[in-house]
Amino acid sequence: MVERKQSRRRPKEKGSVLNVAGKTLIRDISFCGVPENGSNASMVDVKDGKIIRIRPMHYDWKYDPKDMNPWKMESRGKIFEPSMKTLLPPYSIAYKNRVYSPARILYPMMRVDFDPNGNRNPQNRGTSKYKRISWDKALDIIVSEMNRIKEKYGPTALLYESDQHGENKVVQACHGAGRRLLRLWGGFTQQNRQPDSWEGWWWGSKHFWGCEPVGQGQQSNLLYDIAKNAELLLFWGCDQETTPWGWQGQLPSRLSYWWTEIGIKQIYVCPDLNYAAAVHADRWIPILPNTDAAMYLAITYHWFKNGTYDKEYLKTHAVGVEKYEAYVMGEEDGVPKTPEWAAPITGVPSRVIKALAEEWASKRTTVVIGNGGPGIRGPYATEAARLQNICLAMQGLGKPGVNQAKMIEWGLFDKPDQYAQPKSLRVPNLRKAYRGGHPDETNHPSFIPKTYIPKAILEGQCDWYGVESETAPRQDQFVHYKYPADGCSKIHMVWTDSPSWITSWNCGNDYIRAMRHPDIEFMFAQHICLENECLLADIILPVNTKLEEDDIAVDIFSGQYNLLFPEHKCIDPLGESYSDYEIVCKLAERLGLLEKYTEGRSVPEWIKYGWETSRCADLISWEEINKKGYYVVPTADNWEDVPAGFYEFYKDPEKHPLSTPTGKLEFEATGLLKHFPDDLERPPVPKWIAKGISHEETIGTERSKKYPLLVCSNHPRWGVHSEHKDMIWLREIETCKLKGPDGYQYHPAWLHPLEAEKRGIKHGDVISIYNDRGTVLAGAYITERIMLGVVYIDHGAKWDPIAVGEIDRGGAINTIVPRNTTSKNAVGHAVSGFLAQVEKTDIEALKRNYPEAFERPFHPCAGPDIEGWIEGGK
Amino acid sequence: MGKALIINYDICNGCYNCQIACKDEHVGNDWTPYAKPQPLTGHFWMKVTDMVRGTVPKVRVTYLHDLCQHCDEAPCIPACTAHAIYKRDDGIVIIDPEKCSGHRNCIDACPYGVIYFNWGLNIAQKCTMCAHLMDAGWKEPRCVDACPTGALKFGEEEDLKDEISKSEILHPEFEAKPRVYYIGLPRSFVAGAVYSPEEDECIQDAAATLADSDTGEEFTVKTDNYGDFWFEDMKLNHSYSLRIEKDEYDPQEIHDIRTAKDVNVGDIKLYRKVKARKS
Repeated sequence: MVERKQSRRRPKEKGSVLNVAGKTLIRDISFCGVPENGSNASMVDVKDGKIIRIRPMHYDWKYDPKDMNPWKMESRGKIFEPSMKTLLPPYSIAYKNRVYSPARILYPMMRVDFDPNGNRNPQNRGTSKYKRISWDKALDIIVSEMNRIKEKYGPTALLYESDQHGENKVVQACHGAGRRLLRLWGGFTQQNRQPDSWEGWWWGSKHFWGCEPVGQGQQSNLLYDIAKNAELLLFWGCDQETTPWGWQGQLPSRLSYWWTEIGIKQIYVCPDLNYAAAVHADRWIPILPNTDAAMYLAITYHWFKNGTYDKEYLKTHAVGVEKYEAYVMGEEDGVPKTPEWAAPITGVPSRVIKALAEEWASKRTTVVIGNGGPGIRGPYATEAARLQNICLAMQGLGKPGVNQAKMIEWGLFDKPDQYAQPKSLRVPNLRKAYRGGHPDETNHPSFIPKTYIPKAILEGQCDWYGVESETAPRQDQFVHYKYPADGCSKIHMVWTDSPSWITSWNCGNDYIRAMRHPDIEFMFAQHICLENECLLADIILPVNTKLEEDDIAVDIFSGQYNLLFPEHKCIDPLGESYSDYEIVCKLAERLGLLEKYTEGRSVPEWIKYGWETSRCADLISWEEINKKGYYVVPTADNWEDVPAGFYEFYKDPEKHPLSTPTGKLEFEATGLLKHFPDDLERPPVPKWIAKGISHEETIGTERSKKYPLLVCSNHPRWGVHSEHKDMIWLREIETCKLKGPDGYQYHPAWLHPLEAEKRGIKHGDVISIYNDRGTVLAGAYITERIMLGVVYIDHGAKWDPIAVGEIDRGGAINTIVPRNTTSKNAVGHAVSGFLAQVEKTDIEALKRNYPEAFERPFHPCAGPDIEGWIEGGK
Repeated sequence: MGKALIINYDICNGCYNCQIACKDEHVGNDWTPYAKPQPLTGHFWMKVTDMVRGTVPKVRVTYLHDLCQHCDEAPCIPACTAHAIYKRDDGIVIIDPEKCSGHRNCIDACPYGVIYFNWGLNIAQKCTMCAHLMDAGWKEPRCVDACPTGALKFGEEEDLKDEISKSEILHPEFEAKPRVYYIGLPRSFVAGAVYSPEEDECIQDAAATLADSDTGEEFTVKTDNYGDFWFEDMKLNHSYSLRIEKDEYDPQEIHDIRTAKDVNVGDIKLYRKVKARKS
């Protein structure tokens, strides 16, 4: 005790002597966006050229809360208000890990067996290692290849894949900064990203209720509408504790707790006890992956049978109801879609389906979705999407408390009807200063939907409907396109930035085969870290993280306050890295197009132009925003009065029609009936489709005898798509990685204890998930958070090939997801709800068969790194 | 008086921001004399653990948080032969990184198991409640600043009186007087569902009565529209028996339910009483 008294003192050096703060800079650390989408404003403390810490941004740092006109939701005697700080996800806070990652590409590299003047060895892509080259050499080769290809085949022989799975940047944009250059250069073939997180809504719901461009329901003011009016929330394949993180942060979490506090019941329907269900669910209804369509059908059967739906509403708001009813009741095919019929398909007891149907019909119910969930990105996702919409319609869609609410992308594509949060006085927008490619850009005549890239290259030709752009209207789904387009070349060269194909799209193994095809004479990539398709490229160019660049940003998805802020670089670029925009400038210079490409503006001038055109220049001067470092846009007065969701359509469907051909909710889709009357995979009236010409991925089919488990694959918890997979502090978390007996951190795959026991698998074992498209290794995570009959593994894990195009060690499940698209005429991807088998891996046998792959060094805490891919290992 | 930290498990969403912010603050940053840099990986001065509770479909997750409890009677202090551990006036316990001689006595002495050893620097390390930041005028340590839901709260003990009165401490039997308080510490739930196989219906409003065989206490809840019942916060490691009753059905009993952990007794069938059966 005496000792303790002696030691009751503060250290001699007072804390104030320690410079704990450094200089504080405001940065947007969010991902996957286009310039409308910034979020996750963070405070980055920097000292002596080093990042000290990354933390939430406090809105009141330089502003009085009164100036922000804080919104306040009052309902049922309780109050909900925005927080005074941004609600960052863990990736933003841990972002130092990404900046200083052992996988960072720090200088240009070339594949060791690529010789542009000799043997190119395309068949070795994914196998061969790399060597360092100079920037001059890298640019010389790229430019001479561009010119050679253009001369030999024409400019459309160059495929530009500008993905949207990178950091949010504006002037320094990744995601297609090369598009403008290529247009000046004479053209190219554009990889058009299809609506990968919205497949079912985009290809299905747009034919039911319009809702351009994405197909998800009208969102305006729904957060408040739920608080005021909803009695029951059905979170259908929605994980608001995961998916919104990289896009907007964690207000959805706070909101979910508040909804519980004010007595709104939350039911989660999903195969996995996802991270939101784990903490918010009043009830979890486990459902077999991608069988949601059958469940919706059974619910509506119960309603038709008992008359517990809004018949009057349907008379004035919907068309084709009788056709749908005939199918549901079995008049069309002799099979009534009863709860007893749905029970074995869905794995949900019929009594639970009936109880849910009754509760739904008796309470004001909002269905809550969150992108990327298990119910909307599987084979035939159009059907589950439309059938869910039908359920809402039958209960009076648009009535207060009866809508489809999203837990992500509040304000998507700058659309007021997507603004679920309290309205802001102004939505700042940096589209005009943005130097990258936008999802709404078309590139006629030569483009290919992203899902069809492997098909185009491997088969040499293909044709499809739609995806003129990611935001193309419904009618585009009836337009026929082909590759090669008339007068255009086949592809012979590929340029990719922020690549994320293999780990996030359909059958990554096909893509790998395509890039090893001899037709692809040259491929180059630019990226921050060595991952994904970088490993297939002949030349790799090093890109900064955004913390190494000056830029300008908005934060508009948080749901709290909108922000506008110039961004100052926190540290000098590492190694020889540049921003994506600067790299394109280097190419433009060599092509003699620099002045045209930059439009005569320097980066600082573009940044200032961003402020000028941000819609906020009249609210804050350039001097003031630079002095304070940021601008908080106040909440609009009377935000409470914005009509919620489909309310106006509900009140008066004639005055406020939908954008469907009839202006009504189309139980039988007019457009599909006209253009694809015989399509059994996306019929005019939505149906349960167990299998078809595109897919055989359900239990009970012939394939399921060999591959008896359904794979459920959500958007990842510990990263945005393929990003962040090398971040050490995330990889320490057991649901992120499991260390195998060989010291390698395997990607976890969830198995129910009984499924594991059947296969002799123990927690932490290395397991193989396989089907006829390949094998993926994973770490067995045995848990009650997944139902029987399912293996859960999230997408985006880092591809680490053992046998290129066949076996992956990193857990990149998308290498073995279906190669075929959503359905015959809907070229979305189907990446969850497919068949596979799981077994314990004989790792020693694999090592004997593939010694080189297993000898490749990896970082014990960050996973596959640069060392594994540099010749000589340094 | 002094600082206190309150951790509310009821509103912890498990985002791990606290664990990560701690690393962001201490890995690669030298805050001597408060703390030397934490190793890149392997230390968890604020450690989060997923506790998956129950079985399908009665499952939920509670996120446990382990960190230095900044005890007023900290066993680590007298255990340190180098006299490197001290308690500040504000209650924060610090291992002086310059005095620590790497004997690891504190690691053995800490009953909470929250002191880590840095093999590179040969010193023991643990949570400092970000004392270096407090002394520089910060109001909260990094873990609290990073918490999005308000599950972590930090401040002067007297300002947090209300919350502290609703909270508990970990292992009071250690008699170490911790400064970290917990709300919503997991106990055990007993849950299940009741249905009629004859009618293929969930049975609502059945009375579920759970009797504690050890104390004789009884708890009754009604089943909901899914036939579900949940008994929350039952005592750990007690024996219970369960009785399900509804007028027109034969009652069901389940005995020897042991709350070694959370219990899902599963789906319970009720059959109509013979005389009540329709045909």
